[in-house]
Amino acid sequence: MGCGVSKSNQFHKHSRKAIRAAVLIQRWYRQYVARTEMRRRYTWHIFQSIEYSGEQAQIKLYNFLGYLMDNFTPSSTERNLISHIFRENDVCWDSEWERYFCYKNIEVPEVYSGPHLTFPLTVEQAVGLLEAFRNKKQLHSRYVLELLLETWKLLRMLPNINRISTCHSKEITICGDLHGQLEDLLLIFYKNGTPSLEKPYVFNGDFVDRGKDSIEILLILFSFMLVYPCDVYLNRGNHEDHIINLRYGFTKEVLTKYKIHGKRILKLLQKIFSWLPLATIIDQKVLVLHGGISDTTDLSVLTKVNRHNYVSALRPPKRRVHSSAAMSIDIDMDDDLWSTSKIYQRQASLTYPKPLGPRECFHNRSLQDFSTRIKANMENELENSKKREVILAAALHRSQQDILSVSTDSVSSDNVKDEWRQILDLLWSDPMNQDGCMPNEVRGGGCYWGPDVTEDFLNRHNMQLIIRSHECKQEGYEFCHNRKVLTLFSASNYYDVGSNRGAYVKLGPDLVPYMVQYQASSMTRELTARQSVGRTERSALKVLREQLFAHKSDLLCAFKKFDTKNTGLVSLIDWASAVESVMHLNLPWRMLRCQLVTCKMSDGMIDYYDWFNELAIKGPNTDHIDQSLLETLYRHRSTLETIFRIVDTDNSGFISMEDFRQTWKLLSVYLKMEITDEDISTLAETIDSNHDGSIDIDEFMEAFRLTDKKSRLERGRSMFMGTTSDLTKLEGDPNV
Amino acid sequence: MPPKKIEPKKPEPKKPEPKKDAAPAAKPAPPPEPLPEPPKEPDFDPKSVAIEFSTDQIEEFKEAFTLFDRTPTGEMKITYAQCGDVMRALGQNPTNADVLKVLGKPRPEDMSIKMLDFETFLPMLQHISRAKNQGNFEDFVEGLRVFDKEGNGTIMGAELRHVLATLGERMTEDEVDRLMAGQEDANGCINYTSFVKHILSGYIYMVHFFSS
Repeated sequence: MGCGVSKSNQFHKHSRKAIRAAVLIQRWYRQYVARTEMRRRYTWHIFQSIEYSGEQAQIKLYNFLGYLMDNFTPSSTERNLISHIFRENDVCWDSEWERYFCYKNIEVPEVYSGPHLTFPLTVEQAVGLLEAFRNKKQLHSRYVLELLLETWKLLRMLPNINRISTCHSKEITICGDLHGQLEDLLLIFYKNGTPSLEKPYVFNGDFVDRGKDSIEILLILFSFMLVYPCDVYLNRGNHEDHIINLRYGFTKEVLTKYKIHGKRILKLLQKIFSWLPLATIIDQKVLVLHGGISDTTDLSVLTKVNRHNYVSALRPPKRRVHSSAAMSIDIDMDDDLWSTSKIYQRQASLTYPKPLGPRECFHNRSLQDFSTRIKANMENELENSKKREVILAAALHRSQQDILSVSTDSVSSDNVKDEWRQILDLLWSDPMNQDGCMPNEVRGGGCYWGPDVTEDFLNRHNMQLIIRSHECKQEGYEFCHNRKVLTLFSASNYYDVGSNRGAYVKLGPDLVPYMVQYQASSMTRELTARQSVGRTERSALKVLREQLFAHKSDLLCAFKKFDTKNTGLVSLIDWASAVESVMHLNLPWRMLRCQLVTCKMSDGMIDYYDWFNELAIKGPNTDHIDQSLLETLYRHRSTLETIFRIVDTDNSGFISMEDFRQTWKLLSVYLKMEITDEDISTLAETIDSNHDGSIDIDEFMEAFRLTDKKSRLERGRSMFMGTTSDLTKLEGDPNV
Repeated sequence: MPPKKIEPKKPEPKKPEPKKDAAPAAKPAPPPEPLPEPPKEPDFDPKSVAIEFSTDQIEEFKEAFTLFDRTPTGEMKITYAQCGDVMRALGQNPTNADVLKVLGKPRPEDMSIKMLDFETFLPMLQHISRAKNQGNFEDFVEGLRVFDKEGNGTIMGAELRHVLATLGERMTEDEVDRLMAGQEDANGCINYTSFVKHILSGYIYMVHFFSS
């Protein structure tokens, strides 16, 4: 461009245009950024609401099953179906457990191409294990069992609360939830280095569930802990719990990867989880634990509990009548004996004080229902119990000889209740912004605690910071309570590719937290912000639509209340309040409306029948099945699958027709719905096409589109549980 | 169009402010100013704005407002700094200057401190929504044609980056990178008609991108 006068006129006219163009582009860009941010936020809300209500559902299911256990007659089939998950897992005698852990008989075939481990483990082997997993190898079950045995031996020696220090100018690295996402762990080790004497680590729980490499993560963490027992610390999370694992994928993962020994591995892990320490304290000033605290959290109590009694944090240990009497013995061997001791204990547990919160509500509501449905066969019981007493006495005599090292303190019920509640709070609580402390009804366990509780707690214990995990945060971490509480989450892309970053914290002697963020997956780098938000949003909306469909009957009821004249139309405002009243997800429904309701609105009114048609999910060959049954199936698919897996005692993936029927009866009681025998037969026939009398669980779930093949994310994770299509990819070496 | 609703408590509506014009007629010597000199206007008076949004719309705005509310106790308040973003999230397209104007031209240090509740926000939003001259496809293309030296429908990416980062309401390098991601060809050229379409479609729901 020249600078002559005539040209300069042109220049300025052009630049005026240029500026105008620039301003236009800039404002449109800014609008795009703001709209993207908004979409990101409500997408997040959707995922989080559904996740938490899933957790709540699992707790409800567990309470229901617990109720069955406490109140069904011992001979009832329903109870037998599920009783095994409630078996107490007490340590009686070391040698028994050593026998159970026995790996020595397991041969490792020559074709096995994975790593071979020798004990004591060296750092080279631990690093080798890391490499092997990175290359998608699987560790042979023999080595898994050996590793778990060594881990268990170590964990038993650890206190409930680890106390560590940053002396020698060591920086301690703290990681949050990993949830089976191996890529994130590899990324952390890559960025920060593997654990060593100079590089101590604390892992803050939730190593398993949801991601597809939970067992690999455990094996890596355990192996580094064995090599550097003074420099690697693990805290228990709420997912280190076999009841939760049933729903959220870890159980399934192990059973699929280890077809022969999976069950044993899981049982040992139950034990190991219960032996994981509850918290870690750094320099006496920083408390690291998975969930949080409550207004009653007392570290001196927590230091003294027998943490291994709490195999699942969801259920307090049965109150022992007296040590010499009903000692429950681990019983793979002897069903009868077990069931008799259970009866003995049942008396005690019926009078066991029920805990607070949603569990109590559930129990109250269901008591009336169950009493009419289930007949307690009292006469038979009395007769049988007399017989059993004899057997029991004999067994106890025998067991008393076996039991040498069991604590003879009979724990009073109040103490146990208090202890149990403390542990539950530690693993399940979330911080809130308001002062005070109240039950965490969204999750169903633990509580919400406020800044005043933090302040009080820190002052009382002379500490300055609480580091916890348990909640997914977009940036991988978040401070609250005046920067006295730090939430740390290390599973990036948790809800979907691009949904969030992960983070870990480094703490030096100055105890000033230094955050490092990251985001795994090359996919994320390739996606632009628009694309990644778009993907996540699509996933979230899809999940939401499914949830809405699954609640069709309730929604119809709610709409009809507004549509008194039966026009089939509701206004937008009514639509939004009806939907919220049914779904209880606290979402911005109006904003989501244009994504959820694509059928045309006439005069600002929504035709809800049209809308339901839009949402309807049709599976193959499901036309002959009652719509409302289909809806039930869909709505409770996670529960259904969980019950299936519980019923499938030998973990074969198949259940018999008879058990299949019983499962439905269980479900119908739980849901308080009528599911007729005819319905069940129709369902069964759809699957058991070869009429061999057994149902393939996965096939069943697939057939009714209850698993979502199409929305498979690259990371192979679903909101509820992993599916066969993910795990078949993992079936590598048949010899493991 | 949804039926209009006038809030009874507001007085008679005030005429919307005339939009800022581009730079005045060419002067010989001085280089173009980063931001065109606006004609002198009276300050924005929120009380004088009549709300014409429907109840439905207002409920929807509240939802968006709540999404951006970061107060510890959910007080339904946002900072001044967030005001522009919330308006944009609701589909408006103000410049930063427009936003500062309706906020009463606050000092920069107040932007993250001073808070705004929904009642105060609403008339600001109403005012912004009345703005004409949102800019259409032709405006964009016209403006970019300035840089099309060869008149072949393409401009140099580097030049556009420079413009966006130095003229108008400057964008940061990061922002420019994100906007231009994937737009330049191997020679660093951009087909600006496609580019404009790309910007205008930016907030429209993406159909699908990765189908594997």
